[in-house]
Amino acid sequence: MSKYLDLSITEINEKLKNKEISPLDLVMESFDRIEQNKELNAFITLNKEQAIKDAKELEMAEVDNLLFGIPIAIKDNIVTKDLRTTCASKMLANFVPIYNASVVEKIKNKHMIIIGKTNMDEFAMGSTSQTSYFKAPHNPWNLKRIAGGSSGGSAVAVSSRMTPLALGSDTGGSIRQPASYTGIVGMKPTYGRVSRYGLIAFASSLDQIGPMTRNVYDNALLLNAIVGKDEHDLTSVDKEDEDFTRFMKQDIKGMKIAIPNYFVSEIVDKEIVEKVHDVASLLEKEGVQVDYVDLPYLDKSVTLYQIIAMGEASSNLARFDGIRYGYSYDKCQNLDDLYLKSRQEGFGDEVKRRIMVGSYLLSGENAKTYYDKALMIRDDICKSFAKCFAKYDMIIGPTTTTVAYNLGEDMDNPLKAFLDDVLVIPVNMAGLPGMNIPVGFSRDHMPIGLHIIGNYFEEAKMYQLASRLEEILKLSLQPNYREGGIKDE
Amino acid sequence: MSDYKKTVGIEVHCELKTNTKMFSSAANAYGDEANSNITLLDLAYPGTLPTVNYGAVMLALRAALALNCEINEDMFFDRKNYFYPDLPKGYQITQARTPIGINGYVEIGEDENSKKIRIHDIHIEEDTAKSVHQTDHSYLDFNRAGVPLIEIVTEPDMTSSDEAMLYLEKLRQLLLYADVSDCKMEEGSMRCDVNVSISKTEQLGTRTEIKNISSIRNVGIAIDKEATRQEELLNQGIVIQEETRRFDDVSGTTILMRVKEIGNDYRYFPEPDIPKLHLSKEFIRDTKDNMPMLPDDRIEAYKKRNISDINIKKLLQNKPLSDYINLFLDEDIDFVVLSNLLLGDISAYLNRTMKDLTDTNLSKTRCLELLTSLKEGKITNKNIKDILIDYLETTKDVDTLLKEKGIENINDTELLIKIIKNIIENNPESVEAYHNGHDRAIKYLMGQIMKETKGAANPAVANKLLQEELKKV
Repeated sequence: MSKYLDLSITEINEKLKNKEISPLDLVMESFDRIEQNKELNAFITLNKEQAIKDAKELEMAEVDNLLFGIPIAIKDNIVTKDLRTTCASKMLANFVPIYNASVVEKIKNKHMIIIGKTNMDEFAMGSTSQTSYFKAPHNPWNLKRIAGGSSGGSAVAVSSRMTPLALGSDTGGSIRQPASYTGIVGMKPTYGRVSRYGLIAFASSLDQIGPMTRNVYDNALLLNAIVGKDEHDLTSVDKEDEDFTRFMKQDIKGMKIAIPNYFVSEIVDKEIVEKVHDVASLLEKEGVQVDYVDLPYLDKSVTLYQIIAMGEASSNLARFDGIRYGYSYDKCQNLDDLYLKSRQEGFGDEVKRRIMVGSYLLSGENAKTYYDKALMIRDDICKSFAKCFAKYDMIIGPTTTTVAYNLGEDMDNPLKAFLDDVLVIPVNMAGLPGMNIPVGFSRDHMPIGLHIIGNYFEEAKMYQLASRLEEILKLSLQPNYREGGIKDE
Repeated sequence: MSDYKKTVGIEVHCELKTNTKMFSSAANAYGDEANSNITLLDLAYPGTLPTVNYGAVMLALRAALALNCEINEDMFFDRKNYFYPDLPKGYQITQARTPIGINGYVEIGEDENSKKIRIHDIHIEEDTAKSVHQTDHSYLDFNRAGVPLIEIVTEPDMTSSDEAMLYLEKLRQLLLYADVSDCKMEEGSMRCDVNVSISKTEQLGTRTEIKNISSIRNVGIAIDKEATRQEELLNQGIVIQEETRRFDDVSGTTILMRVKEIGNDYRYFPEPDIPKLHLSKEFIRDTKDNMPMLPDDRIEAYKKRNISDINIKKLLQNKPLSDYINLFLDEDIDFVVLSNLLLGDISAYLNRTMKDLTDTNLSKTRCLELLTSLKEGKITNKNIKDILIDYLETTKDVDTLLKEKGIENINDTELLIKIIKNIIENNPESVEAYHNGHDRAIKYLMGQIMKETKGAANPAVANKLLQEELKKV
């Protein structure tokens, strides 16, 4: 079996250019790997027939960019024309969109090949991908463990080298946290960098699509391809074109980095805190100034997140009423029956829980007590970050408080999932860019991730730091991948 | 006469005259085939996002200015959440917290009887789809879903059905003249909900809401009927419930739709998909500068040009004619003659043929030609009737038409003098009356001249000659 998909993007590109390989070779290899690792349950829907067709069409085309012909996996909450998009929900189990999300158009314009739609938490609500109607994906580093979520399937696809690239979405850490659990690079760009048109909304003011890749360079390349103002999304921002790889070879000497004390407090596992301290020392050796600082309001962000995200979600998911598309209870007696049964049967427990809590939080006086107040404190978080970025280039810390834990653990504790995301959520609250890069392993050989937070629109600077760390650490990041699939421990 | 005082507040929904919908690029058109003017957004297709129709924002701003409102320069949209099949997203995008206009007023009545009806606010929102119910099925037409609306909410300032009707007529006229809506109640592009309460004291009574009344006249009837119904209840010692009723055209009464649930909970929150909108000073100024001439300004302009009150009233009821006459405001012409002409023979022609003025050949230049011919006595008011249809339907000038019709006016002074002398001789009583200062006599004598000449005498010339001849007697 070929191993082209283990090569770097530039190497693949060279081989495509001199016709040593064709896009079809890559596509077939990708499907082989998916087939051999079926038990990982990374994908909900494969796009095999169309992907092969696309690859064949590309054979005659000019290799016009580095991402040409590269297989990519798309999270299943991003709509793809003629390709089933389920949001991992029974509600949309048979939903075949009639249009492409703006990012999907951009992916196609760069001639990447969509391999399939990846598993996730239902409507992106969760941080373990266990709320998926299609059962949870497994962590390639240890099949008993969660892949994280909600972009768990995308993380698994990249981590297990099924596809070099994947798109995820991040509302409260849903790109960065599974990236951390599976040892890959995941970027949540600045809010507004990437069009949300065609992303099935969870919490509109927080949702952002971003790249999930094997390494920092690939990540920046994929971000290059998907950013830009979109007339269909009023919250997308108009920024001059930039190459996010442009600072990668530059020295990081003189950079100023802050580590909030909260990020290395007792809420985080000791070995992870130690890893962050190790990274800090490495950076200091590189001539970087690292300071431990106090950043107020970080501890409030989970509560705010629950109020804002669930409030918005309760409204965003109202459209799934069984009338125009999606699951529709067919034996209804009247309108109320149609609403009730379609939603009762179409949505899973976590989604229903969030809709109920969100509706409650926006009801009557509660809107003032909770939602309006949350928006005010959200401003305070923004100000708190702004103060920090006035003195520092970036903020770092751990991405997660623990490494990936066992599937099925704490399933009956709905709060746990939120607390898992305590380190990543503040970034969504402020709309800042945040990324995960792998920086080592735990004693039980599970990946540990570093969280890098940049100031608005300073993704290029983050890639500069990330790529330097990647270069110093030289981690071996391929899980126990073997031909014939990943074997259980 | 009842000693209860009525209190009325009105909410008007008005569809804006835009090419496309409020938040999507689908056409905003009435009467098209069902579900033909829709985009993915209008069906609330997953993943779609709203965009803002700035043309609609401009029209709403224009309406707010026409209603003398203060403008919210920084505004955002809110979501109003509720489930209904005609509401595809499960929420309506509206402006609950930052309406585009607040604290305005509409002035009704005239002079000493005038009264200001305060406008609480005017806000932008989107229309719902249309449900059509049949015995075992309901059908949805999404053409109307997302059509831009403004909702205009008054304070409870009206105290009678007459005031309510005056307010609605004035409001309709203002919105029509500001060119923001076609305000057709029969097509639903203007819809009113009326809140009515009665009380013997200063403290307002419990109000009921009457929905979707199809004409201004019916608003008046509905208010009176509802007030009577409430009074009868109160007289029987029954407490009035807060409820929503609808007006039934056939029986002319209000019928209960639903009792208001306590604290109807729409779970409002700011629409996160649309960033805050800042209306710049320039945008507001430009909108003000480009405001079409509003009714009050037109009245003033017409009064200045000596158009009669009755003609002014008629002109304002006919916006195309009023717009037409405005083309001449800078011209030195006799507006009395023009307004008479437009409201008389020309209106009669337009009504008979179901045409608009724009369907005729009465360009401004040709109208001026007609007016000049009249002024110079080339044609008379009688002749006009003979040539008007051809003048409106063809491009032939006055001279050609007069020739074609074989119309010759008696401009021959000698012939006229002869006729006049004859008439003076035969009407000594009138001549005497004239000399005694009775103006009516001259009218009678002119009438005789016209009768004698079968209307072919140039009235101006004839009048002048008659006066001269009378002085000689």
